[in-house]
Amino acid sequence: MTGLERILATVRFEPTDRVAVIPQIFGHAATIAGVPLVKYLTDAAVLARCQLSALERYRHDAVFALLDVNVETEALGSRLRFPKDGYPSVEKYAIESPSAVAELAVPDPSKAGRMPVLLQAARLLRQELGDRVLVAGCVLGPMTLACQLLGAECALFAAVDEPEAFERLLDFAVDVAVRFGHAQLEAGAHLCVVFDPSASPAVVPPALFREMLAPRLRRLFQALKGPRGPVTWLHIAGPVEPILPLYPDCGVDIANIDYCVDLGRARAAVPRLCLDGNIRPLAFVDSEPGDITAACRRVLDGAGAGFILSSGCEIPLEARPECVHALVDSVRG
Amino acid sequence: MLVAHLLDGDSEHALAEARRLRASGLDGQRLVVEGLEVAMDGMSAKCTTEQFNLLEIMLTGRAAMAVAREVFPEGRVASTRGTVVIATPQGDVHDLGKNITRMVLTSKGFRVIDCGKDCPVTDMVAAAAREHAFAVLASGLISPVVPLVRQLRGLLRERGLTQVAVVAGGAALKQCTAEALNVDYVARDAFDCIHFLEKLSLDRP
Repeated sequence: MTGLERILATVRFEPTDRVAVIPQIFGHAATIAGVPLVKYLTDAAVLARCQLSALERYRHDAVFALLDVNVETEALGSRLRFPKDGYPSVEKYAIESPSAVAELAVPDPSKAGRMPVLLQAARLLRQELGDRVLVAGCVLGPMTLACQLLGAECALFAAVDEPEAFERLLDFAVDVAVRFGHAQLEAGAHLCVVFDPSASPAVVPPALFREMLAPRLRRLFQALKGPRGPVTWLHIAGPVEPILPLYPDCGVDIANIDYCVDLGRARAAVPRLCLDGNIRPLAFVDSEPGDITAACRRVLDGAGAGFILSSGCEIPLEARPECVHALVDSVRG
Repeated sequence: MLVAHLLDGDSEHALAEARRLRASGLDGQRLVVEGLEVAMDGMSAKCTTEQFNLLEIMLTGRAAMAVAREVFPEGRVASTRGTVVIATPQGDVHDLGKNITRMVLTSKGFRVIDCGKDCPVTDMVAAAAREHAFAVLASGLISPVVPLVRQLRGLLRERGLTQVAVVAGGAALKQCTAEALNVDYVARDAFDCIHFLEKLSLDRP
């Protein structure tokens, strides 16, 4: 089976030749290639080259045309600061109140900020890899984009103080994600990871997720799913167990499970939903390869069908390559 | 009623109740101890591992801060439990968790010196020396801060501050053990941090 076939079969709970494995390698690909992160985040050819090099090295099942969590907000007018060795952060947010969203227009992904970089990276990766492995793009989920446009503190208070204006902001965030997501699928991505860490129950109460976010995620996944993007993937870190039962109705096909979630309980909550996870991300920095192998064995023992072995979140930039090898080797042998 | 309004995160009614209590002669310090601190204890009890979210704590924290400003308009909440230094270390600008912890600590009677985000660890240590803090708290969301947090104890020792405790928290740091980070304690959340500091505070001479 190819990596893509393996993942698609896993999502359908069909038999596979081995467990699919997706270490969430984003900027780590630049680190191991010796490329400055800022080059990786601003140059599609560099990103594609680093992802291909990481794939050759680790032999996993998916590559990522994914920059950082600031692509959309930058395209909408936020000013970023790029540190020397880390991901950028927002220096000045695009808007100061949720009602100011009325002044924003959905950006054109072929022109706005670094959106074209991501599109070109997806195009290059798909051209090079075809359907051998999954090529994943990424859009921000509505809660996270709202936080990235307003600042997290301001956005969270707005959800309570100005719910109507905040819901308009969330709707706008979905419009941005739909347009950017469609562009990524047209460029060659097999799917777009919907990355929404701010929707985590660690940040907002499950009731807010159910009332405000789930309907919007449903609209987003309905728009993204189709012949070009047959599978959807929701990535929310942290203790997602209380909101997991809402995922199938939102149209989620793959659910990210972080290290802090008990996999058995997650499986019991959503018996027919493909799960990916859930090795502790920092273990790739502070543990030995043998520890990773043991952790993978424990996870795989109870995982069953419909499971993709992965890190609970991003593999840290400074991860030890031998630990990533241990993750992949635990299913490749 | 004040505690209930605070737990609801209802700043407006909490403020009105605080004004009524003050007008009826209630001492400001009692209002802090029996209102703000009790509300924070209630929030702590509610925030089990399975039921913990930043937004509800932020709302209670915001209401508590509004009451504290009303009672102590000059900006000084009477500190009864000693001074701590808090910061998000250099390289990390995600300070939401740090800000929430600051609010909760202040409401619980700690004097909090906030060194901000993207803060050099040497600045945290200098603040601890200058302000006679009994603990330094590092909040980190991303993994590159790990090696910086490991330096804190050594830097404190260089200044002779061997009695100052180091506490770590935040999404990245709480994945580590205290031993791996070379700190005294790794807090699961803001309330776990406070429980540790309260014990420490009681044990101090």
